Amino acid sequence: MANDTISVPLDVYRFDPLHDAQPRYQRYTLDLAPHTPVLTALLKIRAEVDPTLRLRYSCRSAICGSCSMQINSKSRLACETHVGPEVELHGRVVVEPMRNQPVVRDLVVDQAPFWKQYDRMEPHLKLDPAKPMPEGRPNPMTEAQVERFHDTPRCIACAACFSACPAVEADPEFPGPMALAKLYRFVVDPRDNGTQDRLVRIQTEGLWLCLRCHLCTDSCPKNVRPAERIRDLKEMAIRVQGATERGSRHAVGFKDNIRSTGTLNELKLARQTSGFAGFVGQLGQGIRIWRKKPEITKRPHPVQGAEELEKIYEALDKPGDRR
Amino acid sequence: MKLAYYPGCVAQETGKELDLATRWVCKTLGIELVEFPNFSCCGSGFVDEANEVLNVAINARNLAIAERAGLDLLTICSTCQGMLTLANVRMSDAAVRAKVDGALRPLGIEYKGTVRVKHLLRVLVEDVGLPALRSKVRRPLAGLKVGAFYGCHLLRPSDETGGEPGEEPRSFEQLLDALGAEPVYYRGRVMCCGFPIQFVKPETAARITGKQIAEAKDHGADAMATPCPLCHISLDAYQNKAEHAVGRSLSMPVFHLPQVVGLALGATPEELGLSRHLVPTDAALAKIGTAARA
Repeated sequence: MANDTISVPLDVYRFDPLHDAQPRYQRYTLDLAPHTPVLTALLKIRAEVDPTLRLRYSCRSAICGSCSMQINSKSRLACETHVGPEVELHGRVVVEPMRNQPVVRDLVVDQAPFWKQYDRMEPHLKLDPAKPMPEGRPNPMTEAQVERFHDTPRCIACAACFSACPAVEADPEFPGPMALAKLYRFVVDPRDNGTQDRLVRIQTEGLWLCLRCHLCTDSCPKNVRPAERIRDLKEMAIRVQGATERGSRHAVGFKDNIRSTGTLNELKLARQTSGFAGFVGQLGQGIRIWRKKPEITKRPHPVQGAEELEKIYEALDKPGDRR
Repeated sequence: MKLAYYPGCVAQETGKELDLATRWVCKTLGIELVEFPNFSCCGSGFVDEANEVLNVAINARNLAIAERAGLDLLTICSTCQGMLTLANVRMSDAAVRAKVDGALRPLGIEYKGTVRVKHLLRVLVEDVGLPALRSKVRRPLAGLKVGAFYGCHLLRPSDETGGEPGEEPRSFEQLLDALGAEPVYYRGRVMCCGFPIQFVKPETAARITGKQIAEAKDHGADAMATPCPLCHISLDAYQNKAEHAVGRSLSMPVFHLPQVVGLALGATPEELGLSRHLVPTDAALAKIGTAARA
């Protein structure tokens, strides 16, 4: 084993709301092997340099999900993020608490906002009272049915996705990636009696605020792909209930908008999504844009071969056609 | 170099200045753009929300057009790049492929899956190469601090885009450096511009847009530059809404990627369609000794 060490400057966020007016960053410089996990570095600081440093951790094996924090702005598990690549890319390791949750002290956050959103999704099996579980054994599922859960059971609730999510940051109505991935898991559970209700409810409770930025997917230490499960929920919600909300109206409106021409008619789509009142409300902005970009009112030319698109839609966009 | 040119909807309509600048830059660098009037819209992520398989099929049709011509495909929009790449990825799923093939075959269309989808940013950095680009710079953007704004779909999910790390890319900053500009690093450069929910909840979208612009400004950016015309709509055309949402004046000029390249290669502001922006670019142009004609 090579025992070459590198000098690792760690800038650690320090804040005690009871005593400090402002958070500050404290520099610790340690000699470490490049493959040292950030968590190990922090524990070394606590053991050998500064016993007042507060952080949350448990298993050190990327299983418990306790040590999530921001490392050079990325929401990650400290136990599986190594110092070497961070120093190589950034010259230092900036360690901060997770975002979108209030800081209790140093790197410890109050996870209440995260769990509140999780509870809102009612992530538990809702059985049909008229159909009790078979005596003596649980409801069996086929392998194919279990596969529909996809990647969601792998989630360890570390909240890295919640911390990384710009929609969570901007709007408390958005449940966040993890909560929605968990919702998905129960929506596709064949034993669950609430699928329909869950999908109808979520349409008005933040589903359409997902920005599809995939920061959740890139942050997840367990390779869950919340953005894709949110996409799945959107398509299922439309199939169950139709396009009833602005978000679903926009998605369905966009799909139908390009069907016969192959190109987007922006003005028509804005009218469909926003409704008459909403559209009128946007007129001022529309005129501002039109002064510089008069094409906004132009009806675009259909692309050549648009009839091919029509045929593709006929084949793949039948009402009630389930994936 | 010869590529199938996929301009996307926006660059053909309200974002025409992007198309203009792309053509100028490609002509100057000797990149031949082959046009196909039968390319359709990529679905912009919205069709994917409504019907995943349909979205793949629409884009497999687009990719098949380039494949028949034996060309790789050039995009100038992060979202087009993402959707066409997604189609390539999803077509490797046998069940999806069967459905898509079933819809395309009766039309005499087959997509074998050989087309590489390349955004202009990647073509400039990987194919033209930064040393070659640097040698063609006639008006170095010296003294201009530029905050790159990537656009999500160019970057993530990073295991599918086949590019650079999805939260800490470097290519745009390296490009800006080659043009003589000073890249500004700020967290928002890899974040969402707010566009996807512009019509769903405009006030939330404006908060998101405002946050990113404000962060670029607070890190000293004189201007921002983006490889995505949808981000450009949020950052430029809706900047007034963003200013209102964050409660401060921003006045941030926002360039399209080929506009900053064009400026450095010697194009005039007129040749790059700069007068079509909602937020004037004059202050940024003055920094590099170029005046925009009114």
